[in-house]
Amino acid sequence: MHLFKRLFSVIPVVFGVLLLTFLLIHLVPGDPVEVMLGESASTSDSEALREELGLNQPLVVQFGHYLNKLAHGDLGQSIHTKTPIIELIKARYPATVQLAVVALCLGVLIGVPMGIYAALHAGHWQDFVITLISVRLSAMPAFWLGPLLMLLFAVWLGWLPVSGMDHHASIILPALTLGLGLSAILTRMTRTSLLEVLNDDYIRTARAKGLSERTVILRHALRAALLPIITIVGLQMGSLLAGTVITETIFSWDGIGRLLVESIEKRDYPVTQACVLIVALSYVLINLVTDIVYQVADPRMRHA
Amino acid sequence: MVAMRLSPFFLIAGLSLILGCSPSPKQSSTPVIRMAIAQAPLNLDPRYATDAASERVNRLLYQRLVEFDASYQVIPSLADWQMVSPQHYQFTLKQQAIFHDGQTLTAHDVKATYESLLALRDAPHRAEFAHIARIEVQNNQTVSFFLSKEDKHFVEKLIIGILPKSRLAQGHDFSHAPIGSGPVKFVRWPSALTLARVRDGQQITLTEVKDPTVRVLKLVRGEVDLLQGDLPPELVKYLQTNPDITVKTNQGTNFSYLGLNMQDPVLSNLNVRKAIAHAIDRQAIIQQVMVDNTRLAGAILPPEHYAGNAGLPAYAYRPQLAKQLLEQAGIQLPLKLVYKTSTDAQRVRFATILQAQMAPAGIDLDIRSLDWGTFFEDVKQGHFQLYGLTWVGIKTPEIYLKAFGSQYIPPQGFNRGRFHDATVDALLANENWPAVTQRIHQQLPYIPLWYEGQFAAYRQTVKYYSPKSDGNWDGLATLE
Repeated sequence: MHLFKRLFSVIPVVFGVLLLTFLLIHLVPGDPVEVMLGESASTSDSEALREELGLNQPLVVQFGHYLNKLAHGDLGQSIHTKTPIIELIKARYPATVQLAVVALCLGVLIGVPMGIYAALHAGHWQDFVITLISVRLSAMPAFWLGPLLMLLFAVWLGWLPVSGMDHHASIILPALTLGLGLSAILTRMTRTSLLEVLNDDYIRTARAKGLSERTVILRHALRAALLPIITIVGLQMGSLLAGTVITETIFSWDGIGRLLVESIEKRDYPVTQACVLIVALSYVLINLVTDIVYQVADPRMRHA
Repeated sequence: MVAMRLSPFFLIAGLSLILGCSPSPKQSSTPVIRMAIAQAPLNLDPRYATDAASERVNRLLYQRLVEFDASYQVIPSLADWQMVSPQHYQFTLKQQAIFHDGQTLTAHDVKATYESLLALRDAPHRAEFAHIARIEVQNNQTVSFFLSKEDKHFVEKLIIGILPKSRLAQGHDFSHAPIGSGPVKFVRWPSALTLARVRDGQQITLTEVKDPTVRVLKLVRGEVDLLQGDLPPELVKYLQTNPDITVKTNQGTNFSYLGLNMQDPVLSNLNVRKAIAHAIDRQAIIQQVMVDNTRLAGAILPPEHYAGNAGLPAYAYRPQLAKQLLEQAGIQLPLKLVYKTSTDAQRVRFATILQAQMAPAGIDLDIRSLDWGTFFEDVKQGHFQLYGLTWVGIKTPEIYLKAFGSQYIPPQGFNRGRFHDATVDALLANENWPAVTQRIHQQLPYIPLWYEGQFAAYRQTVKYYSPKSDGNWDGLATLE
């Protein structure tokens, strides 16, 4: 029932996103007709094209047309490349998903064990070193960390390609650039969350029952500490799916974030509108999935 | 304690993953010439293309009716021409040209290309040809253009790549699968654009790599063979120290300038504009932070252009004189001015240098760095006091009319500074270019800065490539 309600709540959110995107695009200074025809066009040519595209109609009518086209799966076409936008999205979005998933996996694989290790050695030098590393990593912006990794792994060691998407190993450096930052957040969150749980009575009871440390940590403590980590992972996944513009740009990764920024720079309004819509839908979807995972991880949530 | 064992495991696994995925060695063994470019072409249909990358690729893919020589005089390319009357131009194809799909290029293709352009309501080049009344084919080699009004520069405009008539009739997608008759043909364009030279089949890939540092790293590592332009000078200097890389520079013709808003109450005063011109040490900027072969500019068109003017005196860096001029203009110092520029790192750097240079002259420059779209929109709308831009690939003196003619204020032209001068308008009407450039130089609706030097950097796998003055990629058709 909760899931059904949650699914239902998505509809007004999506409609709100559509309306807001549409209005924002029309509020941005600039004119799609001028972008198409350039600065030499005559007024009559501009007006004729504006009429042909329906841009001289009231905003409400234009929004209605937009919704109608959207309902038929038509996102329009790029002003500059004349490519159907759905084709652009199909080409770019899988690359973003691929990068996001690999980056998230790296972040979880590095961050969660480091957080557990730090929690188990709280107050010792190991904890200090891990905290120091995670603070450093979270303070490193992608535009600095990315080239640094390129220099190390591609130019000096020659192990990986500098950038691009030609080689199966091409994903490692951009994923690492994103994953290291994410791992820093997860390390601190896991450490804090686990430390809180480790002092609870039921952990003491579990240890008193003679359960192995492995069982106590993995089966009891970590499961309880998992909820905030799931929240962080969900939020981060949403951000990653929204496109990590800087990383995609630095590594020439043809993802949705890069497409969005390029479309904004070139005032390719229909592409910008479609990208924002896809990004917003990704967030909505990820939030929904996070809610579902929450309920699986914590049965109390099903009745909340 | 479990975690103690887990962490090293994951680290080792990660390292193994990285090592296990090692790509090919540094040197390419493929015969493909790989060029990294800052911006991928947007549209390879010559009727739509306006961005620099598309124009440069289209020069290789298509042939045009006319071309420009070293002094920018229009010369025959595909066809010779004859002005039968001021409203009638006849073109005769010089030699047989073959489209990449095997068809012969004829006068019918010329007619079809220009007629299809006129029929496109959303084509940016359409306005330039709006005065074509009709096009008639005499025979396979001869075609006539009839104009509705006289246009002395009509021939210079006929640089649209010729498309095959049969494909136009089929509605072929030239934007993404171009078919031309140029020295290079289209192969594929999944992410990198792959072209092949017609004469020897040599493949060339053009890959977009936005970040300049990454382009340099790819060249150093051997992932690409060639770069041209779009690098900050310090990266060019870094490449010049690398023994595996050859860097060639050449004089450029792309004109950088400081735009002034003539409707601004302060900037409408000529003494203020002169003060700004004297407050910039252009020579120092060229020597310190520009690519080799960058030279001072006096006007949009370079001195070697037939409409160029080599006799324009430079405004020397004299901050004290600038201060005096401002005081004569009744300006209370410091004069606060807003300078708008894009977020490009090199542009922002220029802005900070200008800010430092102008300070001793009593000018307090407030820098506003905006994303390209917003910045350019502000420039077109006249929402600025000062801005910095570059004219790229300008070939004809008609630019003076569109940039300074009083009837060419945006959105109907490029007179972004809103300059009104009856004398200039009269001189433009007579096409007296020396007098036009002289008057503009005196009135300073803009401050000319420099023609940025062109450069190309390439690995030893590439031979016989040299950068062209307007930054085109024609050298790809001949390099080894």
